[in-house]
Amino acid sequence: MLIGMDVGGTNTDIAMVGEEVASEKISNARGMREALRTIRAPGRLAVSTSTPLNRVLAGQPVAVQTILVPGPGLFWPGGVKGAVNHCGDLVECIDPGEIAGILSREHGDALAIAGKFSVRNPALEKEVAALALEYYAEDRIAQSYHLAELGYPGRIATTRLNASMKETVTHLAGEIAAGRGDFLFFKGDGGLIPPDYAVNNPSVLAHSSAAAVALGAYYLTGITDCTVVDIGGTTTDLVPLERGIPMMDFLTFHGERTVTRAVVAESLPFGGDSLVEEGLIPRRLGDALAFGGSHPTLTDALNVAGEEIGDADASRRLSREDAVRAVADYLDRVSSAVSSLNARHLVGAGYLAPFLVPEIARRSGARYTIPPHWDCANAVGVAVSRVSLTLHARFDSGRGWVDLNGEHRPLHTMGDDDAILEMCREEVRRRAIAAGAHPGDVKDVEVLHFNSFDVVRSAYRSARIADVVVQVAPGISVEAR
Amino acid sequence: MTTALIFHPGYLLHEQSRDHPERKERLSYTMDQIREEGLMQHPAVKVIAPKEATIEEVSRVHIPEYLAFLEHSSKKGGFIDFDTNVPVGLFPHALLAAGGAIRAADAVLDGEVENAFALIRPPGHHARQGTGAGFCYLNNMAIMVRHVQGRGIRRVMILDWDAHHGDGTQMIFYEDPSVLFTSIHQMPFYPGSGSVDETGSGRGAGFTANMPVPAGTGDESYRYLFETVIEPLAREFSPELIAVSAGQDNHYTDPLTGLALTARGYAGLMKHAVALARELCGGRLVAILEGGYSVEGGLPYTNLGIIAAMADLDLQSIREPAIYGEWLARAADPSAHARVIENAASLRTHLAPFWACFR
Repeated sequence: MLIGMDVGGTNTDIAMVGEEVASEKISNARGMREALRTIRAPGRLAVSTSTPLNRVLAGQPVAVQTILVPGPGLFWPGGVKGAVNHCGDLVECIDPGEIAGILSREHGDALAIAGKFSVRNPALEKEVAALALEYYAEDRIAQSYHLAELGYPGRIATTRLNASMKETVTHLAGEIAAGRGDFLFFKGDGGLIPPDYAVNNPSVLAHSSAAAVALGAYYLTGITDCTVVDIGGTTTDLVPLERGIPMMDFLTFHGERTVTRAVVAESLPFGGDSLVEEGLIPRRLGDALAFGGSHPTLTDALNVAGEEIGDADASRRLSREDAVRAVADYLDRVSSAVSSLNARHLVGAGYLAPFLVPEIARRSGARYTIPPHWDCANAVGVAVSRVSLTLHARFDSGRGWVDLNGEHRPLHTMGDDDAILEMCREEVRRRAIAAGAHPGDVKDVEVLHFNSFDVVRSAYRSARIADVVVQVAPGISVEAR
Repeated sequence: MTTALIFHPGYLLHEQSRDHPERKERLSYTMDQIREEGLMQHPAVKVIAPKEATIEEVSRVHIPEYLAFLEHSSKKGGFIDFDTNVPVGLFPHALLAAGGAIRAADAVLDGEVENAFALIRPPGHHARQGTGAGFCYLNNMAIMVRHVQGRGIRRVMILDWDAHHGDGTQMIFYEDPSVLFTSIHQMPFYPGSGSVDETGSGRGAGFTANMPVPAGTGDESYRYLFETVIEPLAREFSPELIAVSAGQDNHYTDPLTGLALTARGYAGLMKHAVALARELCGGRLVAILEGGYSVEGGLPYTNLGIIAAMADLDLQSIREPAIYGEWLARAADPSAHARVIENAASLRTHLAPFWACFR
C-alpha cells in the first residue's frame, strides 16, 4: 500500500493507493497525530507539507543571522576570514575569535553559514557551526555544504531559507516519526526523500502541493499535456503539464534565486473559502457557512446559485445577487488566467472542481476532465511518487578523496570515466533503495553533468579529477502502475 | 550594460596529449570558479554558447592549403612543431574556438552586451596565415578582427598581454594600418620576436608596438606601460573596437613563464582597458583567452578578476589566497621596472615618426 498525505491550509488529505484508491479528508484543527491515526493500513507513507512551511515564510519573519566565509574572488560584505579553494584545499584558516565576537555581538532567531567552495570541503563551515552551538540550538543552524552544488550566491540564499525553516521541519519530522515510524517527505520537484535529507535542506519541501496535484492528476487521468486547475480553500493553482511532467524553476527567497528547483504553478489568491462581501475577497475567515463557518464564502455562493454542497441551507444567508456576482468574478479571473496559459485541456482537482471547472473550460475554450478522486488528487500524487535522489560527486585521486553530496570519503581506486559513472549510478541507487525506493524505480539513473580531466604537475600526470551529477529522476513509482 | 561570457562545453574537450600544458585542466578550474561565484546567473553577465566558425570566416586569415592540412591531419593526427601536434578530432574544436571569438564580437557589435570575454580553447595568437605554432592552430583574434571589419568596423586596436609575443597576430597585420597591434610580453622568451624595433612595414609602418619586459615584471610596470604607451597610442589611433588577447600566463604562479603579475593587477589592467574603450569607442571591447598555465594556482583568480573588471563588479576581494604570498616574493624582480622604463622610452623613439603623442 502506498499512502500519501498532503497537509493543506485547511485540511489534510490522505490517499491510500493499493488495488483501489481510497481517500480521506481531515480538518487540520484535529492535529497531525489524529491525522496519522486515521491511517490504519500498513505501507509506505509519504508526506507533503508545503503549507505549514509556506506559513513560516509568510508569517512573522525569522531573523536569520548569516556568517559568510567568502575568501578570494567576488566581494561579499561582512565576510569572515578563511578560504577553501576550487580544489577543496583549505588555503586560509578561520579566526575563532572573530567568529565568537560576531556571535556574541549579534543574534538572530536562526543562523546560516555559507563558505565559498564549501561543497568541495566543508571543514570551515563545520568549524563555524561548532563554535555557533554555544549561541544557537543545532536545529537553528543551517550550513550550505549540504546543498552539494556550486553556486555560492544561490547557496547563500538557500541556506538562509533553510535556517528559517529547519526547526519547523525538524519538529515536524520528529512528530510524524513518533506517530508512524518510517516515512518519506515529498519534495517540490515531485520526488520523495528521507526525513534527514529534508532536515539538512528544508527548502526542497517548499511549493510541494503544486507538484503533488500535478503528479496526482497525471496518475489519475493519464493525460500528458494539460493544465491542472487545483481549487483549494484559499488559492486556485494552475499547473501546466507537458509530456506528463510539470515545468520546473528555481525557488526565490526574498528576491534571491536559490539552488532549489520546484514545480512552476500560477497561484491565484481565490478558493472555496474566499470571503464573499460585496464581491469576492482574496481572504479566508474560516470555513464556509455550509460547513459551519460564520462568514459567506465562494462555496456558499455556489449553493445560492443552485448547487448542493454541504449544508446548502446555511448558505442561503447570502443574497442571490452577491452570490451570482462572486461566482462570476471567480470564473472571470480563473478563465482569463487559463486563457493566457493557452491551455487546451484542463484537469480539475480539489473539492469544488466539478462545480467550477466545466464552466472555466467553456469560457476559455478548453476541454476538461474531472478524474476520480478529484478532491484528493494531491494526496494521490504524494502516494504514487517515487524516491528521487541527486548525487553530486567529485573524485580527486591526488587528494585521495571522493566528495559525495558535500561529505568527503577516502578514495582508494579511481577507474576510467565509464567506471566512475557506473560507481555514481550504483551509489545513487544504493542510497535510494536504502531510503525506501522500490528497486524498479532506480533502474534509470540520469547523468546530469560529467567532466573529467588529468591533473598535470611539473609536466607529469599526477592525478585525475572527475565531477559527476547523477539523479534518480522524480516520477511515478512502479508500485503504483 | 552587461558582459558576455562566451563558453561551450566543447572548450573542455581539446587536448594535444594528456600531459601537454595546454590541456582541459586549464579551463576546468576557471569554470568551477565562475560557477561557484554565480557568474553564470549574474545579472551583469550573459553566458552565450557559440557555434563553429565557417570555413569562409577562417579563410579571411588562413590560406586554403593550411586549412586543408589541418582538416586532413585531424582525421588521423598530425604534427606542426614540438609544442603543437594535431590530435585526432582537432579541426571542429579549433573552429569552435574561432566561432567563440566571432560570437563575442557579434554580441558587442549588435549591442547585446557592452563587452565580451571568449573563454575559448585552443588559443590562437601564434598561428599565422599558413601554419599553427605554440599550442595554436587558428588565429582566433585575427579571424575575429577580419569578421568585424567585414561588418563595417574600420580601425581595431589589439592589446596582446599574453606573456609570449603574439607573433602570429603581428605577422597577419604587419602591413595593415587598420589594425594597431600592441603587445606586452616577456623577453627574451618564446617565440623570440617582439622587439621594440618591429613597428610594422609598408602601409602598416608604425602600427605595431612591442613592449618587451624582463622576467620578474609585475603590476606596477604593466600599469606604467598602459599609461605611457597604450593609452596615448589608443587616443591618437582612435579605434572603433578594442580587442584584448588575454593570456593569463603573466601571473606569478605560472610555471611556463617568469612574470609577476597578480590577479588584482590583471583586474586593474582590464579595468583600464574597459575605461579606454568607453572613452574611445562606446565601450566596445572583446577579450579572447590565449595562454595561462597556472592551472591550479592563479588562473581561476585572474580569469575571474578580468570578468569582474569587465562587468564593473567590486574588485576588492580579487586576490590570491594568502599562502601564495611567498610565491610572489620569489617571482618578482625589483630591478625589472627600470628596464621596462628604458624599453618603453626606446619604443617611443621608434614610434615617434608615426605618432604625434611620442614626439
